[in-house]
Amino acid sequence: MTAAAVSSRSSLACLGRGIRLSLSKPYLAVSLWLIQLLLASVLILPVSNTLHELLDDSPAASRMVANPDYGWWETLLRVHPDLLGNFPKLLTGMLTPEGVTSSELGEARGIGAVTLALAMLAVVLHAFALGGIFGTLREPQGSLVTFGREGMRRFPAFLTFTLASFAAAIAAYRWVWLETGRALRDRVLLLDSERQAMAVTAARLLLLILVLAAIKLATDSVRAIWVARPDLPPVSRFFAGIAAALARPLRLLGVLFWACLATAGLYVIWLVADPSAGGEARFALVPLILTQQVFVFLRLLLKVGYYAGISEALTRTPSPEYSYVAAPAVSAPPPPDDEPALERPAGAV
Amino acid sequence: MLSAKARIFLLAAAAVLPRAAELSGAQLTAPIASYEISCRLDTDKKTVEGTELITWTNRTSHPATTLQYHLYLNAFRNSRSTFHRESEGRGRAGEPLPESWGSIEVTRMTYSDGTDLLPALTYIAPDDGNRDDRTVAEVTLPRPVAPGETARISIDFRSRLPRVQRRTGWKGDFYMVAQWFPKLGVLQETGWNCHQFHMNSEFFSDFGDYDVSIDLPARYRGKVGATGKQVEERAGNGERVLYRFRQESVHDFAWTADPGYLVRRDFFREAGLGDVELILLLQPEHASQAERHFRAAKAGLSGFGRVLGGYPYGTLTIVDPPWGGTAAGGMEYPTLITAGTHLVAPANVHDPEGVVVHEFGHQYFYGMLASNEFEEPYLDEGFNQYMTARVLKTAYGPNHAFVSFFGFRFPLGIDLFYPVDENRRFFAVATSDLHAQKSWGFRSRTSYGGSTYSHTALALATLENMIGTNVMDRCLRLYFERWRFRHPTLPDFIAAVNEVTGRDWTWFFDRTFRSSNDTDYAVEEVRSTPAKPPRGLFEKDGRLSEGPQPELAKARGWDSVALVTRRGGVVLPVDVLLRFEGGKTYRSVWDGAARWKRFRVESGPRLLEAIVDPDEKIALDSDRTNNGRRSRGDPRAATRWTSRSVFWAQNFLDALTVVW
Repeated sequence: MTAAAVSSRSSLACLGRGIRLSLSKPYLAVSLWLIQLLLASVLILPVSNTLHELLDDSPAASRMVANPDYGWWETLLRVHPDLLGNFPKLLTGMLTPEGVTSSELGEARGIGAVTLALAMLAVVLHAFALGGIFGTLREPQGSLVTFGREGMRRFPAFLTFTLASFAAAIAAYRWVWLETGRALRDRVLLLDSERQAMAVTAARLLLLILVLAAIKLATDSVRAIWVARPDLPPVSRFFAGIAAALARPLRLLGVLFWACLATAGLYVIWLVADPSAGGEARFALVPLILTQQVFVFLRLLLKVGYYAGISEALTRTPSPEYSYVAAPAVSAPPPPDDEPALERPAGAV
Repeated sequence: MLSAKARIFLLAAAAVLPRAAELSGAQLTAPIASYEISCRLDTDKKTVEGTELITWTNRTSHPATTLQYHLYLNAFRNSRSTFHRESEGRGRAGEPLPESWGSIEVTRMTYSDGTDLLPALTYIAPDDGNRDDRTVAEVTLPRPVAPGETARISIDFRSRLPRVQRRTGWKGDFYMVAQWFPKLGVLQETGWNCHQFHMNSEFFSDFGDYDVSIDLPARYRGKVGATGKQVEERAGNGERVLYRFRQESVHDFAWTADPGYLVRRDFFREAGLGDVELILLLQPEHASQAERHFRAAKAGLSGFGRVLGGYPYGTLTIVDPPWGGTAAGGMEYPTLITAGTHLVAPANVHDPEGVVVHEFGHQYFYGMLASNEFEEPYLDEGFNQYMTARVLKTAYGPNHAFVSFFGFRFPLGIDLFYPVDENRRFFAVATSDLHAQKSWGFRSRTSYGGSTYSHTALALATLENMIGTNVMDRCLRLYFERWRFRHPTLPDFIAAVNEVTGRDWTWFFDRTFRSSNDTDYAVEEVRSTPAKPPRGLFEKDGRLSEGPQPELAKARGWDSVALVTRRGGVVLPVDVLLRFEGGKTYRSVWDGAARWKRFRVESGPRLLEAIVDPDEKIALDSDRTNNGRRSRGDPRAATRWTSRSVFWAQNFLDALTVVW
């Protein structure tokens, strides 16, 4: 393998090609954006109605336009507990050693309960969308129709992968994060310094991230191979996907790393610019909404770029060791002239 | 005859001299229960063995036939103690307590005449009758102690310390030795006041002088802190070191030792407030935060001192517990407080500062006023919470740092954000419990915290807003000066308020402290419609005729209505502000007694908005979002927040699908 070939298939190059593909098929990001926007709208509509009811006639409204008043929000959440229920607590509880228990999930109310339901719907739609994305990325002339068709075509298999991956991630969260937290809680308290305790927590967090990354890459690899190798039987496709991930772990991890870095960069830009925080003077309502949605769209372009990058990393140059493509015919060397031909023994068939 | 100048000088000197004596740390009050203790720390067994000589004077008008004393460490003796039953084995933050037990045993007890008192020792449970609880003991004296008479009791004891929990114990080589010696209750005219160790309760004791000698392994040399002033350090037998601390006019003694301490010293000096030596026992990994601790301590000394009076003791020791020992943090003992910080403590979050100022504030309410924390916990925690917020606001500004995330602002170090954090804590439990009650009578720890700390702070802030800050300061000053070292109760503070204001404010305390009602005023309706000309029969030239006088026939201005309601049970007078077009305003005080009041303005300018409690005087108002209403809606804020929420939800939903 030449140095150029290695370079051409480096993780950054794969992601770069993926993003170019994503840009060439913007309707994929648009589809994801629409799905997310609709789901988010369902979630936010009751909040919006409550906000209008409480704020429109309130003298606090003018203050709230320019300066988000934490006290007002605190009161709102306290006085209207059904609005978010224990949802904020669930979110913050996810990173504590105790984590989130199923009984706490059962206590979800109001928007919190709707969020949980929509989250499940989002997971299912995610399976559909990924079928569409991977399928369309393989088509030179894709369209929204291709996206829908490919999504539906692969939906059963992709839903299975997604749910399996979901279950694996939950198991990893439980066993790598929660159980180690519980097991180590007392020992961590006995450490000499907070610095050591933070190092232990950081190690647990890193391990969790690595396991989750492995789950994600394995799943995405199976998805990519599933689409790229329709010639294989389903079980072979699945194992070929796993094998492909195992064969190129660093390259895949690299694609994921660069994609995460780019996404984090987008968020950093957003947080530094902070267009949401300013008053009317900085961003009027319409420009603000447009800015927000452009940000979401950019992030989704990057997301599609990541999936395309993974597909590139796995399928652009098929690996012979995992290929079922028939190897070129090898011509048998002619027998040496001085070697006598074998005589068939008598009675042989 | 003295000259006029000399007379003035002598008068000034006479005024200053007692104060100078006070500030020097000399005896500030006649001792009732004084302790001389010699103890030895055994770091292998985690025990402190000691001998104490109690000198106790009966200051009541009745002879005392018994003694009652606290054996606090027995709260950690087993899971049958009242503390363990009430807490269900959980710490202050709900964390499981370590499976490490503590105890205190009295091995000898003799009266001054040599009588062995130990056979007469019995354990009692005056609060809950729990026969398994060994935190209060009683002995019958061989003969009654007459009023004014002084008794001396000598006690040998062995204290086994638990791993740090509820303010006391060890972690590695760190020791926070508190609630550790047999300690007398308070004899009142009604009998002994000596409560068990409860989940929520703290302490109540008589003042006295403490002289304590501590024998430790030599590796603790120079790394010991305690109540009072260190008067001696000398080598002990073998690889040991001996320290001696002394402090007059305090009601408890705690000490700490950790070979890892960084010892830092500073000095507080401010005109009129006396000099104080500051000793900071800091964990090495928090070395960079030393100055923040000192600045906070000085802010406390100055802030509390300016309002209440100077801190009269010569030293203040601040203890920073180590990692894993934070259950010892955030606690107060006479002249010694424990704080607590983290490795990552951004300068603008003021996390250690808040704890230092709060715990220092206890030197006044717990320390010098020394109210009964078992029976009236709010007189310490609540008053201190109120004053802490004021001192922090003066020293560090009204708000603290926020982080802005997708347009939502999240406060960092929420404990400083007054009054939002008080609101958050209190209003969640506002109607759960009667606020003025015994500390173990609350439904839950949350309710105890919300009522004792936050409700009191909000009620006092409301009172301050009603009478003015200067008058409030005079009330607090009078209360402190009159009652320090005398265990005041709520009526004593009410009397101080009444005296300073010249009015009876008992009703305010009845409706707030002695109630479990909530407070909520709201504006429910605001209308402004063009005025219509009067119709019907009117007198004209002495006769009734249809239609008004010509000058009245033309409608002018707007007819406006504002409906203000009292939704809560607490009745407080409240301001109502009506704001009209053209900048005109109308302000009125409503007594708040009825459930509603309607304000009408006819043929006036157009009413824009009505606000109840516009100056936010009533800090106890549980729902401020309904305190105002406009006649014309403005959807901009809600739309803006909706857009932010959609954006936030989009990001959240996307994050959900990152892994799978």
